[in-house]
Amino acid sequence: MVLRPRGKARLLKRWLLALLPVLLFSAMLALMQWVAGMPVTWLWLKMILVFLVTTAVVRLLPWDRWIFRTRSGTVRFYVALFPLFVRHFAFVLGAEARRSLVARSLSVRNEYGPGSFRSLAHAVGAIFSRSLARAERFYAAQMLRGIGE
Amino acid sequence: MSPVLEVEQLHFSFDSRGEVLRGITFTVAAGECVGIMGANGSGKSTLLWCVLGLYRAEGTVRLFGEPFSRKNRRRASFVFQNPEDQLFMPKLVEDVALPLLNRGTSAEEASMKAVSALEVAGLRQAADRPASQLSLGEKKRAAIAAALVTSPELLLLDEPTAELDGRSVRRLVALLRDLPVARVIASHDLGFLGELCSRLLVLSEGAVIAEGPAAAILKDSALLEQAGLI
Repeated sequence: MVLRPRGKARLLKRWLLALLPVLLFSAMLALMQWVAGMPVTWLWLKMILVFLVTTAVVRLLPWDRWIFRTRSGTVRFYVALFPLFVRHFAFVLGAEARRSLVARSLSVRNEYGPGSFRSLAHAVGAIFSRSLARAERFYAAQMLRGIGE
Repeated sequence: MSPVLEVEQLHFSFDSRGEVLRGITFTVAAGECVGIMGANGSGKSTLLWCVLGLYRAEGTVRLFGEPFSRKNRRRASFVFQNPEDQLFMPKLVEDVALPLLNRGTSAEEASMKAVSALEVAGLRQAADRPASQLSLGEKKRAAIAAALVTSPELLLLDEPTAELDGRSVRRLVALLRDLPVARVIASHDLGFLGELCSRLLVLSEGAVIAEGPAAAILKDSALLEQAGLI
């Protein structure tokens, strides 16, 4: 029998999965310091903390409602818009990453065999170029809506 | 009455690639619906970006009888090919209301107008949902609602039917047909342009190769073939 995580457990699983790349990157940072013979600093922990605080600030505070209570053109209006922009860019980056990595896994014969590093490098490159193009269009769209002029 | 949009001898090139737009000239009258048709890569989207000053092109663009400026650009709206480029707020109604808020409209009035715009687009029931949860057809109509909420005098649409199914296209036609606003639609969907536009410009390799009444242009199969449309 397969047990499926429900409710809170599923939510926790999603959170942990989102944290996984950050944990891996933090571990990589610490490993690089150790391999290079440098003292292993608290950089890895600071990175995880920054990620958690940023996620909490962007996800948990009601920025959208604050915008509706703030007069346009004020610093508070733009401060409230900023996390919403960050969230949208994170969404774009996530969507492009998923698309690019799925496309790679479908197109290579062996994901972990010869040439896999090269195809992964191209896939990661594609994520950034596509995200940049979408960021440019997003910026243009918001400029035309009068935001950021 | 002076045209809402006058474009004269517009030239544009990206740095390394050759000229993308080569001496484009056309006008759009108030309330008119003009289609810009051309194959992929013919310069349709670039032309719309240049008209709104998103790319700096050589040539003359006059909006509402005056030289192009950021101030008179506010009287125009643009619907991008990918609606996700425009919509980012947690609720659709907030997304539609945002340009109004930014122009100093009160939150209550902005929300009220946003709900009305969503009603026109047939999306009243989706007002409290984020755009990311909508279907592509709904997202396109939401982007149009967001563009219309400021009561623009000129509406530019970039490939509005791209990736849409037949029913979504029909809904889009119904939404756009009776708008009392000048419309410029860039597309290679001949049926869609035929239903909405009174006049068509045919673009090929960055130049206008034909311009005229929609019915006459769409009947000219040699021209359509030359432009890579059939």
